[in-house]
Amino acid sequence: MTWSDYLPAWPLQISPALWLALTLVVAVLLGEAMVRHLRLPRIVGYIGIGVVLGPGGLGFIPQLPVNEWRLVVDLALGILLFELGSKVNLRWLKANPWLAGTSLLEAITTFAVVFSVLVWVNVTSTAAAIVATIAIATSPAIIVRTVTESRAQGQVTDRLLLMTALNTIYAVIFHKLAVAVMHGQAGTSFVHTIFAPLYLLGGSALLAWLFGITFERIHHHLGQHEETFSFILFGMIAFATIMASTLRLSPILVLLAAGLITRYQRKHTRTFPPHFGSAGAVLVVLMFIANGLAADLRGLRDGFLLVLLLIVVRIIAKLLAVLPLATHSGIGWRQAISLGIALVPMSSVALLLTMDTAIDFPEFAFGLGMVLMNWIVILELAGPVLVQVALRRAGETPEKKT
Amino acid sequence: MSLMPFAPSRPLSIGVELELQLLGCNDYNLAPSAPEILRRVAKRTHPGEIKPEMTRSMIEINTSVQQEYAGLVTELRALRDVVSEAGCFLNVAVAGGGTHPFQHWSEQKIFDAPRFHYLSELYGYLAKQFTIFGQHVHIGCPGPDEALHLMHMLSRYIPHFIALSASSPFVQGHDTGFASARLNSVFSFPLSGRAPFVLRWNDFEKFFAKMTGTGVVESMKDFYWDIRPKPEFGTIEVRVCDTPLTVEIAASIACYIQAMSRYIMVEQRMAPEEDDYLVYTFNRFQACRFGLEGVFIDPRTHQQRSIREDIMEMLEHISDHARELHAVEAMERIREILIVGNGTSWQRRAYASEHNLADVMQLQAELWMGN
Repeated sequence: MTWSDYLPAWPLQISPALWLALTLVVAVLLGEAMVRHLRLPRIVGYIGIGVVLGPGGLGFIPQLPVNEWRLVVDLALGILLFELGSKVNLRWLKANPWLAGTSLLEAITTFAVVFSVLVWVNVTSTAAAIVATIAIATSPAIIVRTVTESRAQGQVTDRLLLMTALNTIYAVIFHKLAVAVMHGQAGTSFVHTIFAPLYLLGGSALLAWLFGITFERIHHHLGQHEETFSFILFGMIAFATIMASTLRLSPILVLLAAGLITRYQRKHTRTFPPHFGSAGAVLVVLMFIANGLAADLRGLRDGFLLVLLLIVVRIIAKLLAVLPLATHSGIGWRQAISLGIALVPMSSVALLLTMDTAIDFPEFAFGLGMVLMNWIVILELAGPVLVQVALRRAGETPEKKT
Repeated sequence: MSLMPFAPSRPLSIGVELELQLLGCNDYNLAPSAPEILRRVAKRTHPGEIKPEMTRSMIEINTSVQQEYAGLVTELRALRDVVSEAGCFLNVAVAGGGTHPFQHWSEQKIFDAPRFHYLSELYGYLAKQFTIFGQHVHIGCPGPDEALHLMHMLSRYIPHFIALSASSPFVQGHDTGFASARLNSVFSFPLSGRAPFVLRWNDFEKFFAKMTGTGVVESMKDFYWDIRPKPEFGTIEVRVCDTPLTVEIAASIACYIQAMSRYIMVEQRMAPEEDDYLVYTFNRFQACRFGLEGVFIDPRTHQQRSIREDIMEMLEHISDHARELHAVEAMERIREILIVGNGTSWQRRAYASEHNLADVMQLQAELWMGN
């Protein structure tokens, strides 16, 4: 036997996963420090550590293999989207049609304003439309995570969850349509231009519906065992997410719709642990770190003014669009302002849509894609803080922080 | 501040106040939605009053002055419908019941009004613990001395009202074993309990003046007695009931008290004695703990029987008075409670079949909102 049989070879061969594990520890510690000393949401720490240590920052952590981290992001986002859907009561729209009005107005205004700004800076109208559809979506990940963490409760919180679910759906659907139009312009035949979004939307809806009825069946038999059931649910979410990718459907749409369908059909209340248990919670934290790692601020120097302009007009659009119908829908001005501010965050959904576009149109990745990336990173870091402040100002977080 | 003069009121007129729970439709925990609900109902025309309460997850509905069961129940239904509609509009469920089964007191938020902030300062966590939901019944009295007489005579029957209305077995996630755990929260207030044994209004005024002189109280509102006179309305107010699970039960219990009051004023004509109160806290405890099965000790005869049996006998005594007051239907409902059980037994049955307090609350809200 020689030394080399049992001692590690020097220099050590360190896999990127080790760095990632270490980052997890550091990120969670940083998140705690944020809460204790700065009273900021933990996710700012998670994303921040990714930004600082990742390839776009100090470069301690090398570029992660895309497929692996894409799986983590997909799964965690799947969990958060399902969670969001299962907290949203679609029947509310029937009882209070002003909410549907507010939601549509907010989405249309956001789209119109972002689209106009981009056309004004000489972006082609199709590309502008693609970016504008992405801008409609409020980040479900940040909303669900911040609401869970701050234990917020009340009208603004309920509306925030509802409007986030709706504008995410609009964003995905209209993004696919805008992409189809772009394909059409790039010379794809008419049949494919039409059929591609149809397959994606129809297939996603079908998969979500199948998820919904399976969920109901299993819950009927296992519902009382909350913990056991959340394990199964975890598996189902992972299955549906991967299945959606395999079938080239939209995992975002499938999981969000599945959550909405199960909530719509439910006869009994269900309380799940946040993110369906600790495995889900770890994935969620990893997702935020991964989002930070993927952040690439290099293009910011060139596009800074445009990014800033887009951020500002989008905030104004969301804020002003929730005001006109606020009192009709039963909330006051103060609450409406909080709601408008809380709708600002952008994160994973926007990121995934941007990346999907970049895969189809590589030139998009370097131009507008870069602008979008910077825009997302900024709103990912600022978003949780805005949501927290908005919910606190609306008086919907517990009065004393523990 | 001296005590207000006792206002005239029509004898045996009734009024009901109900404190209601506001719940989020996802987890059926208490939701701080009172300001929005109140803003919404302010736009609707409705009888009576809808008011804020101590914390933002409660509201109170008050009927106007009523004479009999039919009018009372109609008005309560109208109030319930207005509040339920506002609830649906805001994704908030409304429910009866004396306690919320799993809310955490520290998460409650004080309603933004000077009196509530003052009370919150004074009582600290007790104010938030006070997120409990009661039914108050006003009975009109011909004069102040008659009011004190009625108050002391009704005190004997406090266990009836507690046992019939009891609907608060669950507190902070657990079955307390009590039929009305709500009253345990009331007893922790320093000025809870019973009114002093005085039978003349000028003696009562002297007592009140002495109390304000000590600086302990400022108004009648500071007394959390089980029954207290309400001079500005010309009524006595029975405050021991939990908010029942439906408005019909609330109206029936109010009319049971009304019929009993008529029996006391017109037929019984017995003078209250201070010794009647010897068994008071024992009987009240039995009612809180065991509900209709509780032991009732008659203060005069010292005879023991169950509260259910005592109510049964009382229903016989007051049947003519109930007929006179057009409250026969209400008495039927009371009889029904004696057979099928009170709110607490309904809640325990619901929990036994659902295994989940959130589901119990959902069913309770559906029962209250009438759908």
